[in-house]
Amino acid sequence: MSLDTLLQHIYDWSISESIRANVSAFPMLESLHVLAITMVFGTILIVDLRLLGFASHRRSAQKLITELLPYTWVAFAIAVVTGALLFASNALSYAHNTQFLLKMVAIVFAGINMGIFHLTAHRRIADWDEAMPPPTAARLAGASSLLLWVLVIFLGRWIGFTLEVVF
Amino acid sequence: MSMISFSDWLYATPAATALRDTAWVIPTVQSIHILAIGVIVGSAIVSDLRLAGVIATDEPPRTIVRRYLPWMWWALAVLLATGLVLVIAEPGRTLNNTIFWLKMGLVLFAFLLTLAFRKPLLDPDFELERGFDVDPDCEDDRAKWRAMVKPAAWLSILVWTVVIFCGRWIAYT
Repeated sequence: MSLDTLLQHIYDWSISESIRANVSAFPMLESLHVLAITMVFGTILIVDLRLLGFASHRRSAQKLITELLPYTWVAFAIAVVTGALLFASNALSYAHNTQFLLKMVAIVFAGINMGIFHLTAHRRIADWDEAMPPPTAARLAGASSLLLWVLVIFLGRWIGFTLEVVF
Repeated sequence: MSMISFSDWLYATPAATALRDTAWVIPTVQSIHILAIGVIVGSAIVSDLRLAGVIATDEPPRTIVRRYLPWMWWALAVLLATGLVLVIAEPGRTLNNTIFWLKMGLVLFAFLLTLAFRKPLLDPDFELERGFDVDPDCEDDRAKWRAMVKPAAWLSILVWTVVIFCGRWIAYT
């Protein structure tokens, strides 16, 4: 089965069809998606700025991370679920949209960046928990994360201007 | 001049035409608008959840308010500036749209709420959890005010959520 056949199958799912058929479904999913993404960006921004060396509402970087990360993850999960439903409603169009593909690449890079941070600077966080400025590795992770999430939001908005919707 | 003839006039101005004719302007300005909403949401979530007693309860509310209130003002300035550009470029879809005006009303309400329930916390003599120790005569009023902080914090989160929904819905009405 080719990729396009699979995408056509997803397009034909009854849930995809009902999203296309119900005029409120798409804007409702989009609103939830935007809400989730602003929560992801807003909470991650606070952590990223702390990693860059800007003071947060608490001195300890570790405390800040454990305090905010659950909210980031819940919001990210909502963004993935709503995003998947938006994708399903027009699977072929999204899969052939450059901005959408670049957005997925940017999210993967954000994940890799987070993974590297957790395997390196975060392992030694006890050494720099309250230090200002944080070590270079932490500042690099914060800067990359911030840039990647800004890129994700730009690309996401650009999809709306380039997607060729099929009804 | 009615709102419709005003928005028709605005639509035809050289500034509006120039904004529409440059393909990247509207998506870029919208992206910056969403980033600014992200800053508001992040600041509002952390400070409202603190005032609601959910997170960072080991830090005084003042520390959190002092950290994030300026972020909210900066984000508001960016939101209004980018929002203004979007209205000038496409007045028809905003000025003649009920959802747009509902959104404006809610943003105003959210900021009045933010001012009313955050500003007093910046007073170094004020302790949200314990109240003023200095002036027992006024303690009754302040106790009432303190009791309003938690509901106001949850209301603030709710209002920002509705604002975001309205923002997306402007495109569909």
